[in-house]
Amino acid sequence: MNKTVKAQSNINFKKLISKPEFSSLLILIIMFVITAILQTNFFEIKSIIRNINAFAPLILLSMGQAVVIISGGLDLSAGAALSLFTCVLTTIMKKNDPTTGIYALLITIVVALLVGVINGIGIGYLRIPPVIVTFATSYIWLGISLFLRPTPGGEAVDWFKAFYDVGAVKGMPEFIKAIGGVIPPALVLVLIGCAFWFVISKTRTGRHIYAVGGNSDSAYASGINTAKIQMIACIINSIFILLAALFFVGQNQSGDARMGDPMTLKAIAAAVVGGVALAGGRGSVYFGLVGALILSFVNKIIFFANIPNAYQTLVGGVIVIVAIAGSQAYTLYNKRAMLKESK
Amino acid sequence: MIILEATGIKKRFGGVIALSNGNLKCQKGKITGLLGANGSGKSTISKIITGVYSADAGEIKYEGRIVKYKNPNEARKDGIAMVFQNLSLVADLTVWQNIVLGAEEKNGLFLNDESAKELSKEIIDQLLPSLDINKKVYELNPGEMQIVEIAKAISNRPKLLILDEPTAALEQEQVKSLFNYMRKLAAEGVAMIFTSHRMWEVMEICDDVTIFRNGMDVATMDFSKECKDPEKIISYISGDTKKAKVEKSRKVLTDETVLSIKDLNYGKYLKNISFELRKGEILGIGGLAGQGQNELMLALAGNYHGVRCIAEVKGKRVKLNKPANAIRNNILLVPGDRQQEGLFLKHSVYTNMIFPKMALKHQPLFIPRKKYREECEQIIKTLSIKTHSIDTIVNTLSGGNQQKVVVGKWLSFDTNVLLLADPAKGVDIGAKRDLYDYIVRQVREKNMSVILYASDNEELIEYCDRILIMYEGQIVATLEGDDINEDTIVAASMRVRDFGGEHVG
Repeated sequence: MNKTVKAQSNINFKKLISKPEFSSLLILIIMFVITAILQTNFFEIKSIIRNINAFAPLILLSMGQAVVIISGGLDLSAGAALSLFTCVLTTIMKKNDPTTGIYALLITIVVALLVGVINGIGIGYLRIPPVIVTFATSYIWLGISLFLRPTPGGEAVDWFKAFYDVGAVKGMPEFIKAIGGVIPPALVLVLIGCAFWFVISKTRTGRHIYAVGGNSDSAYASGINTAKIQMIACIINSIFILLAALFFVGQNQSGDARMGDPMTLKAIAAAVVGGVALAGGRGSVYFGLVGALILSFVNKIIFFANIPNAYQTLVGGVIVIVAIAGSQAYTLYNKRAMLKESK
Repeated sequence: MIILEATGIKKRFGGVIALSNGNLKCQKGKITGLLGANGSGKSTISKIITGVYSADAGEIKYEGRIVKYKNPNEARKDGIAMVFQNLSLVADLTVWQNIVLGAEEKNGLFLNDESAKELSKEIIDQLLPSLDINKKVYELNPGEMQIVEIAKAISNRPKLLILDEPTAALEQEQVKSLFNYMRKLAAEGVAMIFTSHRMWEVMEICDDVTIFRNGMDVATMDFSKECKDPEKIISYISGDTKKAKVEKSRKVLTDETVLSIKDLNYGKYLKNISFELRKGEILGIGGLAGQGQNELMLALAGNYHGVRCIAEVKGKRVKLNKPANAIRNNILLVPGDRQQEGLFLKHSVYTNMIFPKMALKHQPLFIPRKKYREECEQIIKTLSIKTHSIDTIVNTLSGGNQQKVVVGKWLSFDTNVLLLADPAKGVDIGAKRDLYDYIVRQVREKNMSVILYASDNEELIEYCDRILIMYEGQIVATLEGDDINEDTIVAASMRVRDFGGEHVG
């Protein structure tokens, strides 16, 4: 009896380690250990908070991107949308009038929904290839941002700092400041993102996002409104981008029409590194987080390894490719091993 | 009581008329057989009833009122469910997730997974108890997928259930349990439309049949009034009252060996397979569905990198580790899954036909367009492929004609060994005969050798000189001469009798 249970758990363990997700977790652990060795003050609370602040935006973007990719799409306008949200926020807010912050927040939420809806109409209802739709909309978002903020700047209300550092807000109760000193707002934003997806994933919509990405014809034949699902995926992504925008405005107290540009491809790469299949239907949104952490640690490793400036970008690219190739080889090896065993 | 009545349905796709005048009636608690050659319009009318396509003209009366569904969901809400021929499952979801897909029950905001699993288990237990509902669909074999597809349609508790060739991928046993379940549903008052190319199934399960030919219904037979006469039905299907049975002309085989395989092994799928193929021989591979026949064909065509065997073509050692090796030794595979492996669906007939030539080593720098087009026209003529022109997109052809393109594109080659993996699967009787006649003629004229895997025993009996029966990845019997008949094939497949199997146990 005991033996069968053990054998059973053995099989389950083997199944677990043969999953592609497991290899990205493995890479993350390796990167984590290397970074911890290289950065001498890695475990100090201050540098932990600094790291979380540095990683959070990419984590949020790659989780949002993962939702869209799983639904069978791709969002090339994520970075431009991020910039747009910061521009809208900083244009509406007036530094001396705290209530403008609330208006700005509400209006930006509406803008975020619109951004998702427009991408969703193009991808889902007009059936234009996602790459084309979002490439085009990225210029629309950029155009609006440049109209609002030709140069970086703008102003933000004081309490918006709470999205970056609670301690910097005037008049904030002491106990909240104390909590903020241990749990940084960036972490809270990421947790809000995770909770948001947790809820979605347990609903009909969550299941249908996987179905549509896996095989949209089958999903349609099963009575699923595939266009609507793709639009909802775009809206979910938009909400993740909005969370990242709140963080940036809290940090910089200003908006910038071009700040998001380099983030788009990083977010897509992070989702793929996290094991989300570009073909759609396969992967986990939480592993967008893992992928983003891996990419962020790679950056840190390059920084601390004293690699000359000129080579940093090159080395970063090589590390990512080696890591992905390694995980592919690992998955393949496991498949072979399982095939041999069953023989 | 009539539950559904479709009258005067018309539908055209581009220049092709799929339905010119389709009429169909279904009664509560009765199983209606829908018969016809591929491309006769029976799939089209099923899809119009369920709202996948919309009709250009005609009306559908369901439960006494005229309906016009815009999508399958509307039809399903009214109790019309369809089991699709091209599977409508999502491979990355589990069995139970697929069964409830699109009709998930909610528990407040969240999904009620427990009730979904219970419902799935209840249905699957009656159809295929050995199936684990927590498996992902991509782990299943085609027969199991078909069962899941059927379970999915049943899970909606439909009043009208349309089964479009549900048995094509199933084994005899599974067909029997499906029929039992269908009878139970009929007793509960569910009306069913059933299509199949296998005559005995229609004879066994249907209460009445409607036969389609060239986009219209040509006959309706009620078995409670008329006797079940398969010959009459076949004559309606083919529009041909003559019985055209090809007499099998066996050739005296030479002793020359073209291909010899020794100890072929591949994982758990293929074990210790050895055989020799003689020149001018048609060697059949038979057995129950999913016993490694498809894998054997793919392995011989070099699709499995990890395969281990000693292979000789005309006495010369060859490696079967990649498709290019097999093709260069003139071992050509005509795949069974035309949608996935055999065709570029969105390209024209012409492009599909000439593609294999592009893979040859010696090619003129510029494509000799005129010559190839003429060759292509020729093949279309000899195979009597029904197509507008050679520039028609393959996707718009009917299933049988698509399969003819798959076969046609290889046949202009000098072939040592032609591997045919179920070439006539889902192809109607007329097209099947065209196809095999052409293949047999090629074999006789060019003296090439063929390995034929067919899921339908009749095809094996009619065309093969020798038949190997497979069971769990091994060859368990070799049938020759007078042993080649339905009885012995079934007995050997089920391992009831032994027939000189080379590697039993």
